Amino acid sequence: MKRMKKIFPGIWFLEPPKDISVDGWRIDNVIQYTDTVITIYFAIVVLAMLYFVIRYRSRSGHQAVYDRGDTKKHVVITVAMGLLIFFSIDVVIEGMSFRDLKEAFWNFPKGDDVVQVEVMPQQFAWNFRYAGEDGEFGTEDDLVPSQNQMHIPVDKPVIIQIAPYDVIHSFYLPNFRVKIDATPGMVNTMWFQATETGKFEIACAELCGNSHYRMKGYLTVDSEEDYNNWLQSLEEEGLEDDEWGDEDEEIPIRWGWAWKESM
Amino acid sequence: MSNNQEQSFWSKYIFSTDHKVIGKQFLWLGIIFLLFGGFQAMLIRWSLSNTGEPLPWWLLGNFLYQSNEGIISPDAYNQLFTMHGTIMIFWAITPVLIGAFGNFCIPLQIGAPDMVFPKLNMISFWTMFLASVVLLVSYLLPEGTAAGGWTSYPPLSTPVGGIPGQGQVFWTLSLTLAGTSTLMGAINYITTIVRLRAPGMGYFKMPLTIWGLFLTSILNALFVPIIAAGLIILLLDNVAGTQFLIAGGKATIPGGDPLLYQHVFWIFGHPEVYILILPAWGVVSDLLSVFARKPAFGYKATAICMCAITTLSAVVWGHHMYTTGMSPLLGKTFMFLTLLISIPSSIFFFNWLGTLWRGSLKFETPMLFAMSVMWVFGLGGLTGLYNATITSDIYLHDTYFVVGHFHYTMAASVLFGGFAAIYFWFPKLFGKQMNSIFGKVHFWFSFIPLNLVFFNMMVMGYAGHHRRIYDPTEYEFLAPVLGLNDLISISAYILGAAQCVFVVNFIYSLLKGKVAEKNPWKAATLEWTLDVPIPHGNFATVPTVYNGPHEYSHPDLKDRDWISQSEPLSS
Repeated sequence: MKRMKKIFPGIWFLEPPKDISVDGWRIDNVIQYTDTVITIYFAIVVLAMLYFVIRYRSRSGHQAVYDRGDTKKHVVITVAMGLLIFFSIDVVIEGMSFRDLKEAFWNFPKGDDVVQVEVMPQQFAWNFRYAGEDGEFGTEDDLVPSQNQMHIPVDKPVIIQIAPYDVIHSFYLPNFRVKIDATPGMVNTMWFQATETGKFEIACAELCGNSHYRMKGYLTVDSEEDYNNWLQSLEEEGLEDDEWGDEDEEIPIRWGWAWKESM
Repeated sequence: MSNNQEQSFWSKYIFSTDHKVIGKQFLWLGIIFLLFGGFQAMLIRWSLSNTGEPLPWWLLGNFLYQSNEGIISPDAYNQLFTMHGTIMIFWAITPVLIGAFGNFCIPLQIGAPDMVFPKLNMISFWTMFLASVVLLVSYLLPEGTAAGGWTSYPPLSTPVGGIPGQGQVFWTLSLTLAGTSTLMGAINYITTIVRLRAPGMGYFKMPLTIWGLFLTSILNALFVPIIAAGLIILLLDNVAGTQFLIAGGKATIPGGDPLLYQHVFWIFGHPEVYILILPAWGVVSDLLSVFARKPAFGYKATAICMCAITTLSAVVWGHHMYTTGMSPLLGKTFMFLTLLISIPSSIFFFNWLGTLWRGSLKFETPMLFAMSVMWVFGLGGLTGLYNATITSDIYLHDTYFVVGHFHYTMAASVLFGGFAAIYFWFPKLFGKQMNSIFGKVHFWFSFIPLNLVFFNMMVMGYAGHHRRIYDPTEYEFLAPVLGLNDLISISAYILGAAQCVFVVNFIYSLLKGKVAEKNPWKAATLEWTLDVPIPHGNFATVPTVYNGPHEYSHPDLKDRDWISQSEPLSS
């Protein structure tokens, strides 16, 4: 029990990791709204149960009331309570969720300042690829940093396209509240934007083998200047651009795929 | 039905076609695997809070993982949680609630002499037994059991996934066999309920337990063949060199698709949640009524809501796959359909509360477990909202939040529903009464630690802790949850120890327990009109049903507060 001493301080008030994204608040909001409303409803249910346990406990002189609860009044009341729950929680969070998807998570940014990164997880590491000067993937000047090192500039939207080499992985950024599966044979996409600089963790959220637990990458959020310097240093290093897979054209996803504009 | 014929030991206890004996066989199988799967959970908890430390003596440290000095390696850890999930779902919950109580209760509660296909029933158990043998043999393989998670997503679960050994093949085979057994049971249950109800036993006079088992069997009959198809494809990929489910850099033949398996798995997998929970809901609805001494509130509405949930459960599987890059239209549709489930669920939850309202509550052990199902299912159901909502699920998917949530709905509700059923029907199963003091100790030492375990798992997931992580110290953002991780482990050990109380009580009561009365709970359903041991063939004369299943405290009753379904209410 080497970590026993840490148990008690503030355990039930754990918070998600620090949010450093433009849209993470939306997810936190949905969660907090749901937290609040279900806490109230659950508390009401528990209080009702407690009251019933005390008030209606079996004792001498106490008789159950014969009541099948199938009169029109009873049915109307229970259905109304069901609908109350549905409209006060489900409809609200569905509305919030649809709004957020439309405004943020599925509203992919366009324009010249969008940073594009291709991600190819493999057992048990993350590979990243930047388009280089020509802005095209799958060309000679693509930049491939060392494994598990992803850099992005602060305050700029980043779109990733992701396809794994071997098995299913999931690209998980706790500090951005987002994740996307990487499934062999298909390219998935996701976007996010950082609001502050620093070094943050990338985790694999989908079981991918015995070292799944340490398939960890780092996302470094740089200032504009640092980011450009980093890209520059990559060009100078001229890291070997490893080819994955064979040249068989029938296998659709190869490392360094052409950026899929339609996604 | 050869009631009087002398039977040999073998045909009476081993290859019996008597539904009551088969029910008991399923019960023993289920309880043994429940303990086995539970023990694996203890090992998982030890590994999570004491990563890389040798197992202590009380977790059989001197006997396990000897080649690795008693330390659970990452490979062993993956095998543990894979088999824990598989065993608990398919070898513990399914046999206890569906196999044991399905078999035991259906003919007795509907007034039938036996299942409509007694031999199929026997074959169903022995297929399950064979499945268990195949599953257990995989523990003897040099490289161990399957390790791809209970969902076994390909390509990880195929030869290109990099998991050594043949564990996955055994897993797939044994699950296919278990599915075959379940399917045989389902056909039998459906036919029995449709064809063999006693005169007067209309559908809306059946106990809610039977409703739960009926709907479960329908789901099983519809969806087990789908998972079987998926498993056979997976098996072919594993042993025949096909690549149905392999794509990407490891594929040598084009056209495979790992996503196909996920769809097939969850088309079955989501109904599976309801397959497991519907019998528990039915049992709880009936027991609340028995121990509140009043009819189940809104009986018809409860049954209709269960039907509605059953129907909806077939069209919501996509909510397990929000992060797979699903099309927005599909995602929104699945989200809407999933949230619809909350209407019937709330209605029948309120009916449970309505049953307690103005009752005369007797807190016997089965009642405590039944009421605790209201608590755990309430929490589990409400926390499902986070996972049904696409945006919050993007964050919470594949975290401990999901683990906590599904343990509340699937594990805790069904486990406590199962315990309620065992304590309740033990007198009818074995003619003895289970000790109620031990029962209450078992209840409180299960209920409180269970909440500490699974509620805190949800908190941990909210803090970002992703699933299936061998060593949580690996990530910096997980540092704040390490303390909670230890608290969960300690609670889990207490929860595990409490189950020993149950085992002792079960065996002690079986051997030396007080002989039970014919109807110790004063229940109105048909099985309580029979003397134990119930002969092969059950009812001497086919009962005629006059009343609903919950006639308690009827104002016309004078000397007692209940009337059996087969007694006319004289007025």
